[in-house]
Amino acid sequence: MSQPALTSPVTNAASVPSGAGRGMSDLAIRNWFIIPTIVFLIVFNIFPLLYSLGYSFTDYRASMNEPVKFVGLQNYRELLEDENVWANFTLTAKYVIMSVLGQVVVGFGAALLLNRAIPAKGLLTTLLMLPMMMCMAVVGLFWQLLYNPSWGIVNYVFLTEGKVWLSDPNVALLAIAITDIWMWAPFVMLLSLAGLSAIPPSLYEAAAIDRASRWFVFRRITLPLVSPLLLIAIIFRTMEAFKTFDIAFVMASMDETELVAIKLYKMAFQEWQTGRSCALAYIVLLAVLAITNVYVKYLNRLKAR
Amino acid sequence: MIKALSRIAAAAALFGFAQVAAAQGQLTILWAQWDPANYLQELVKDYEKQTGTKVVVETTPWPDFQNKAFKEFTAKGSAYDMVVGDSQWLGAGSTGGHYVELTDFFKKHKVAEAMAPATVAGYAEYPGKSGKYWAIPLEGDATGFSYRKDWFEDPKEKTAFKAKYGYELDVPKTWKELGDIAEFFHRPKEKRYGISIYTDNSYDALVMGVENVMFSYGGDLGDYSTHKVEGIVNSKENIEALKFYKRLYGFTPPDWGKTFFQEGNQGITEGLVAMSMNFFAFFPALANPTTNKYAKVTGYFASPKGPSGKQFAALGGQGVSIVSYSKNKEQSMKFLEWFIREDVQKKWADLGGYTCNAAILKSDAFRKATPYNEAFYQSMFMVKDFWAVPEYAELLTAANKRFHPFVVGGKGTAEEAANGLAKDWAATFKKYGRTK
Amino acid sequence: MAIVQSRLSRWWNRGAIALVLMLLVIMMIPLYWIGSTAFKARAESTTVPPTVFFKPEITPFIKLFTSRVQQRGESDKEAYAKAPWWEKQVMDGGDRFIKDNQGNIESSGYVSRFVNSIIVAVTSTFLAVALGTITAYGFSRFKMPGEDDWLFFILSTRMLPPVVVAIPMFLMYRAVGLVDTHVGLIILYTAFNLSFSVWLMKGFIDEIPKEYEEAALVDGYTRMEAFFKIVLPQATTGIAATAVFCFITAWNEYAFALMMTNKNAQTAPPYIPSQLGSGLTDWTVIAAGSLLFLIPVALFTFFLRDHLLRGVTFGAIRR
Repeated sequence: MSQPALTSPVTNAASVPSGAGRGMSDLAIRNWFIIPTIVFLIVFNIFPLLYSLGYSFTDYRASMNEPVKFVGLQNYRELLEDENVWANFTLTAKYVIMSVLGQVVVGFGAALLLNRAIPAKGLLTTLLMLPMMMCMAVVGLFWQLLYNPSWGIVNYVFLTEGKVWLSDPNVALLAIAITDIWMWAPFVMLLSLAGLSAIPPSLYEAAAIDRASRWFVFRRITLPLVSPLLLIAIIFRTMEAFKTFDIAFVMASMDETELVAIKLYKMAFQEWQTGRSCALAYIVLLAVLAITNVYVKYLNRLKAR
Repeated sequence: MIKALSRIAAAAALFGFAQVAAAQGQLTILWAQWDPANYLQELVKDYEKQTGTKVVVETTPWPDFQNKAFKEFTAKGSAYDMVVGDSQWLGAGSTGGHYVELTDFFKKHKVAEAMAPATVAGYAEYPGKSGKYWAIPLEGDATGFSYRKDWFEDPKEKTAFKAKYGYELDVPKTWKELGDIAEFFHRPKEKRYGISIYTDNSYDALVMGVENVMFSYGGDLGDYSTHKVEGIVNSKENIEALKFYKRLYGFTPPDWGKTFFQEGNQGITEGLVAMSMNFFAFFPALANPTTNKYAKVTGYFASPKGPSGKQFAALGGQGVSIVSYSKNKEQSMKFLEWFIREDVQKKWADLGGYTCNAAILKSDAFRKATPYNEAFYQSMFMVKDFWAVPEYAELLTAANKRFHPFVVGGKGTAEEAANGLAKDWAATFKKYGRTK
Repeated sequence: MAIVQSRLSRWWNRGAIALVLMLLVIMMIPLYWIGSTAFKARAESTTVPPTVFFKPEITPFIKLFTSRVQQRGESDKEAYAKAPWWEKQVMDGGDRFIKDNQGNIESSGYVSRFVNSIIVAVTSTFLAVALGTITAYGFSRFKMPGEDDWLFFILSTRMLPPVVVAIPMFLMYRAVGLVDTHVGLIILYTAFNLSFSVWLMKGFIDEIPKEYEEAALVDGYTRMEAFFKIVLPQATTGIAATAVFCFITAWNEYAFALMMTNKNAQTAPPYIPSQLGSGLTDWTVIAAGSLLFLIPVALFTFFLRDHLLRGVTFGAIRR
C-alpha cells in the first residue's frame, strides 16, 4: 500500500507479468481457464452436430435398414416451400413472444417488488421459485388436469365457469403460454433480483438528495444497471422457448399448438424421417442463431456504455 | 475432486460390469409401462421357477415406448431380447430387419391354429396374407364400450326414450342407436353428457376411434394389398362415418378435444357420461369398485353394427417379437414355446392379460371371468387393423391432420377432410414406391 | 447516512408487500393442488367438481415405493384380512402389491432413481459451476482472440432441441459404452449447463471492478491468489445463482435421462409419470413422487438464499 498505485489496468496479458513474477503468467491462466471448457464443448457438440448435418442431406430413415441416399438440398427446399412449416414458424414465434414477454413482466415485476427490506425475503424468494423447481414432465400433466372444466380448478380460480381451454383452438396456445410463464417467471425474477441487489444504495441516496422522480430513478439508474443480467435471462428464456416441447406436447396437440419442436419430434420419432427432421432442425437453429445474435449485440452495446 | 470423480467412474464401471454379467442367463422383454406389463412380470415368475432363467420385463412410458425401442434397433443394440411391439410396428420391424422371422416357429407349433385368426393377421403376419409371421400375439385388444347400466335401466329414462325415439332403450346394436342414446343423455346443465370418444391426435387414438366407425359403415382405409386409396378412403361410407363421429363429439363433456384412455375412464368414474369408448385393456379399473364407485352399475358392450350390418372393432394389442440383435435368441425361442402353452395362456388370462388363444377365448370360464370379457370375446373375432406398413406413422400423422380439425375444431367439411386424406396417403405411398 | 422514510414510501412498501403476497398466493395455487393431491385417496384426485376438503392419507407415498398392479375386481378377502393397515389402504385404492417368490413386496425403483438423481445432479452442477466460473473469469479479465465468437459458440450449444441430437448422441454413447451409466449422464448435463454457467458467471464477474485485483497484484498477490481471494468471494451471488439454476436443470432433466438410461442410471423424472399407463391414472402417486422430488431442490435453494440476495455491495469503486 505504500507503493504508488498502478494507474493503468492490465489489459494486454502477454506483455505484463503478474505479481512479482511469481505464479502462472496471465497467458497461461487465460488458456488453462478457457480452453478446457471450449475443447469439452467442441468434442461434445461437434460430433452430433456434424452427424445431424450430414443426415440432413440424405433421405435417411432411422427405423429402416435401407441404404442411405444423398439428396443434397432437397430436404431443405421441400421444407422451405412447405407452407405448413412456415405456419409452424410463425406460430412458434408468436408463442415465444407471448411467453417471454409474460415471464419478463411477471418476473421483473416481482423482482422490483421484492427489492426492498421486507420480512422473510429469503423465504418468499424461495417459495416464489418453487414453480421453476418442478419437473417439466409433471407440470404439463398436472396443468392439463387443472385446465379441465370438469375436474380442474383453473375455472374456479379465474371465475370462468365452464370455459374450455385446451380444446379451444383460439385459447389453447395462450393456456400453454400461461403455464410456461407460471413456471419460468421465477427464473427472470431471480436474475433480476440478483442484479437489483447489486445496485449500490448510494446511488439511490444521491438521487433522493437531488429529489429525482421515481420514474427518473428507474429509467436512469435501476434499468441500465440491471439490464445486463435481465438481458441474459431474456436470451436464455428465448432460446428455451423456441425449444418448448414437453408441456405443449402433453397438454394439447392441435395444429394451432404445433410448435416447431413438436413438429421436429413427430418428424423424427413418429414418422422416422430422420434426414428431413435434421434439415428442419438446422433451419430452426439458423433462425435462433440469428435472433440471439441480435440480442447479444445489444447486450455488448449495453456493456460498453 | 479428481478423486471423487475417479471413484464415481469406478462405481459406474462396476455397475456396467454387473449389468453385463447379469445379462447372461437372463431375458429382457421391453414393453410399455402399464398394467398388462405388470401382469406379464408376474406370469414370467413361473418361467423362472420352472427353468431357472430369469425374465425381466422392462417398461417405459407409452409416449416414449416407440422411441426407445426403435432407437435401440437403430443402434443394433442387444439391450432387449424381446419386444412387445404395437401391431403397426410389424412393417417397420420386419422390413427393417429388427425382428426375427417366426414363420417356421408358427408352422412347427401350429400357432396360427391356436390363436384367434384375427389376432394372427393383426399381430403377427406381414405383409398381409403373405404367410410370413414376425410376432406371437401376446395381448389382445380392441375398442369396446362401457356404459351406465343404471341410467339405461332407469324406468323414467326408458319411458322418455321410447317416447322420443320409438324403440326400447337398451344396449345399442347399431351405431345409429348409439347416436340416439348419446343425444338423449346429453344434458350439459345437469353436468351429464352423452358419450366419451377418443380425440387425442398426438398418436393413434383419434384414428382408432374414427376407423372403428368407418369399418362398421362398410368403409375401408384402402386396399391393403395394392395400396390404392383414392375412392376408398374418401368413399361415401367413410364420409358418412366421419360425419357421424363428429356428431358424437358434440355429445362429449367440455374440453374433450384431446382424450385417450384416461379421460375415457374418468368419464365413467366421475359420473359424467352415459357411454365411453375405450380399449379393453383399460377396463379392469372400471370393474373394480374401489377405483370406480359406479363399478357395480357399469356394463360393457362390443362395437355396434353399421347401417349395412357390418360390424368391426378397431384392433389394438401387441405381439411379442424376438429382436434380431439379441444375444439370447435361442433362449427367447424357448421362452416363446413356453408362453404359447395352453396352461400358460390360461394363467395369463387369469392374471389379467388378454390372451389370444382361441380355445380359451371361447371358453365359458373366460367369458364369465369379468364383466367385460364377454364383450372382449365378441370383439376379438371382428377386429380390423390400421395400415401396418413401415410408413404407418406418416399415414397416422396425415389422418390426424385431416380428422382432428374437422371433428374437434369444427373446420371444413367431411368431404374435404376425406378427399384431402386420400390425396395425402396416395402421395405417401407413391413416395415410398408402393404405387406407381 | 440514513434517509428518513417518508410516509409515502412506507405506503409504497406496504403496497409492494401486499402485491408480492398476492402473487405468491396465485403462484402457489397449482403447487398446493399438486401437494394436496399427494395426500388424497385415489378416488378423490379427479372428482367433479374438484375436491378441496378431504381426509389426508399417506397411501400415495406407500404406493410410491412399492410395485403394484391394478386389481380387476374386489380384493381377495383372505389376503385383505391378513394384510397390515397400510396394505389394506392400498387395496382399498384398488391395487395389489407385487410380491416375489418369497412373499416380500417388490420395491418400485423410485428410491434408486432418486439416489441416481442426486448423484448425477450434484456432480454435474459442481462441474458446470467450477468450469463455468473459471472460463468466465478467463473471458472477463483477459483478451482472447475471437472472444465474442467463442462466447457465441458456447451459447449456441444450448440452442438445439434434444430431439435432434438424440440419435447421434445415443449412437456416440453406445459406441463408448456410456449408455445407462452415471458418468454418461453427468458428462451430458455438465456440457448442457456449461453454456449457461459461463454466460451467467461472466455477467457477474464483469460487474466486479477490475481495480480490486489490480490493487492486489500491486500488493504482491499472484493472479491465481487474486482470483481465489478477491474475485471468488465477491462472486458468491453469481455462483449461488448459477449453482441453483444448474442444479434445477440437471435435477429435472427428462428427455436425455429417458433416452440414455435404462435400469441402472435412470433418474427420477422419466420414472414419475410412468404411472400413466394404467387404466385409471393414479394422480396421487404421481403427485407424491413429484412432491418428494421437489424437496431436495427446494432445500438447496433455501440454504443458498442469503447468497442469492447478497449482491455485490462493496461498492466504493464503480464504473
